[in-house]
Amino acid sequence: MISRIAWRNILRNKRRSFILITSIVVGVLGLVFTEGFAVGMMQQMLTNQIGADAGYIQIHKKGYQSDPTLENSMTDPAEVRSVLRSDSASLDYSERLRVFGLISSAYNSYGVSIVGIVPNEEKKITTISEYVAKGSYLTGKPGQILISASMAEKLKVGLGDKVVIMASQMNGSIGSEACRVTGIFETFNSGFDQSHVYIPILTADQMLNADGLVSEFVVNPINPNDMSSIASSIRDGIAGLPENAGKYEVLTYEQMLPLLVAQLALYKQALYLVAGLIAFALIFGIIDTMLMSVMERTHEFGVSMAIGMSNGKIFTMVMTEAFYLAITGTAMGLAASYGVFLPLSHSGWDLSMFSASLKSIGIGSIIYPVLDASSVVQTVLIIPIATLLGAVYPALKAIRLQPVEAIRAT
Amino acid sequence: MNTNGSTSEIVRVENVRKIYSDNGVPVDALRGINLTVSPGDFSVIAGPSGSGKTTLLNVIGTLDKPTEGKVFLDGEDVSSKSRRELADIRLRKIGFVFQAYNLNPVLSALENVEFTMMLRGIDAAERKRRGLALLEELGIVELANKRPNEMSGGQQQRVAIARAVSNDPRLVLADEPTANLDSETAVKLLELMERLNHHDGITFVFSSHDPQVIERAHRLLILKDGQIVTDKVNV
Repeated sequence: MISRIAWRNILRNKRRSFILITSIVVGVLGLVFTEGFAVGMMQQMLTNQIGADAGYIQIHKKGYQSDPTLENSMTDPAEVRSVLRSDSASLDYSERLRVFGLISSAYNSYGVSIVGIVPNEEKKITTISEYVAKGSYLTGKPGQILISASMAEKLKVGLGDKVVIMASQMNGSIGSEACRVTGIFETFNSGFDQSHVYIPILTADQMLNADGLVSEFVVNPINPNDMSSIASSIRDGIAGLPENAGKYEVLTYEQMLPLLVAQLALYKQALYLVAGLIAFALIFGIIDTMLMSVMERTHEFGVSMAIGMSNGKIFTMVMTEAFYLAITGTAMGLAASYGVFLPLSHSGWDLSMFSASLKSIGIGSIIYPVLDASSVVQTVLIIPIATLLGAVYPALKAIRLQPVEAIRAT
Repeated sequence: MNTNGSTSEIVRVENVRKIYSDNGVPVDALRGINLTVSPGDFSVIAGPSGSGKTTLLNVIGTLDKPTEGKVFLDGEDVSSKSRRELADIRLRKIGFVFQAYNLNPVLSALENVEFTMMLRGIDAAERKRRGLALLEELGIVELANKRPNEMSGGQQQRVAIARAVSNDPRLVLADEPTANLDSETAVKLLELMERLNHHDGITFVFSSHDPQVIERAHRLLILKDGQIVTDKVNV
């Protein structure tokens, strides 16, 4: 019966209940929006980084991660290849010869990471081929080069123009190669664009006189959820190689991109703070509205006390009203969130007006909000708890009423 | 006046004073009241406005605490009980009928009657059975599902009486129960309460200056300036 009275009390002042439920819905939307937007942005940062360059797993010669030089490249990549091929049903891989060097045109020179790739294999692993905005992706023909639009602008070159790349060889002498711009790419990350150029691995090998050296194998599991088990399986395979003696390191993206992973963890912590602030603001809204509701019913509470309703039952009744408002508001808020976020999670939210800023932190101009289970669970817990906390003070106010004075109230 | 403290008395008021503060000025609302009410009484406390009728009823009904003196209900000293204990005493032993009916506006007539039974923990089926029986007895069973705003004043007061007696109280305190009713309705309600007093043995104490109430009283107490100036039995 208490719950029936609570429901009817909610319905008797529809406008106030509507305002209160709306404030809860706005709180839920705010929380879900903040979470969904931030989580979507963070995931995009990570997947962009993984998709464009890092991949899920990389295999290096031990020490390459901390000192990525030609000297730390793999001299016998065939044995790693054989391990990867034995697991080819569950993964794709590509190999790269990467070196820091210089790219020059008739006008300018810039330091860049020169990445020698196997174009067809790289296409399966990373998304760089999808970012080619002008010209075409590499075919593997010697002398091709793929540079970014910003680099092309700085070098004042266009498609078909000649640039020279140069880098130190193993023996200390400088190797160089003249290449023609085959394609111009533009990714989500301006910093990345300005620091990477791509050439066929054979061209890199020739320039560096590398004799088949490989800097890194980039491995993507067919199912990204299998990353840890595939990394373990590769580690086991490599451990079984003759004379391995810890020659190689198998790293997942979490180990390769520790700063980014730490940044994401920090963002998640910050989201708790935001959730706390939203809940805090909601609590005050609830206190105000519930207090008004209680004060308006002072006379009724007085009568209820007179006929023997205990303080506990009065407290329970006010809290039950708050609970119903909370679950109604939360359910409506979640429904509204799904209504707003489901389309956005597919079409994305076009933030082209901020594209320069977003590119500088490695995010595309379209954000795809993510409404994951943990956000929903967090909302389902935080909003009703905040509502109930907000109702405690009005409920205490109700039970502190003196029956005689409360009955006299009009 | 019986003041021997036996449990045959439902109410015993001993030397009760009640002093209110009105904007810092102390007001003597009750000045040394001594009173007993026996089971089956049909008593009226009368007196002019401001004489202390409602205050005395509130003190007897444990809604207000005396500044001095003691109040016994069914032989139990209630003067020093906690709020929780007093709520329980009101629930089990006292029924209230107010001048403005004071039904819960979100509940139907039947639910208003059931409400006090619910507070006592009586199960839903029994509540409904007893509630309907009471409404039938008071002649308003057809209003069982009506809300207070769909009923006349007289009908609401009948529901209030049904609510007051639903927990089989030892005592019903009625504060100006006919003040808001026309005389014909008031008479019917008074007849109803007389019947409950006569047939069910429920003790009634009224506060009223309505002559129709006073002429039905078995005992009349007249209050003036917070003191009982007249106490007549079998008036």
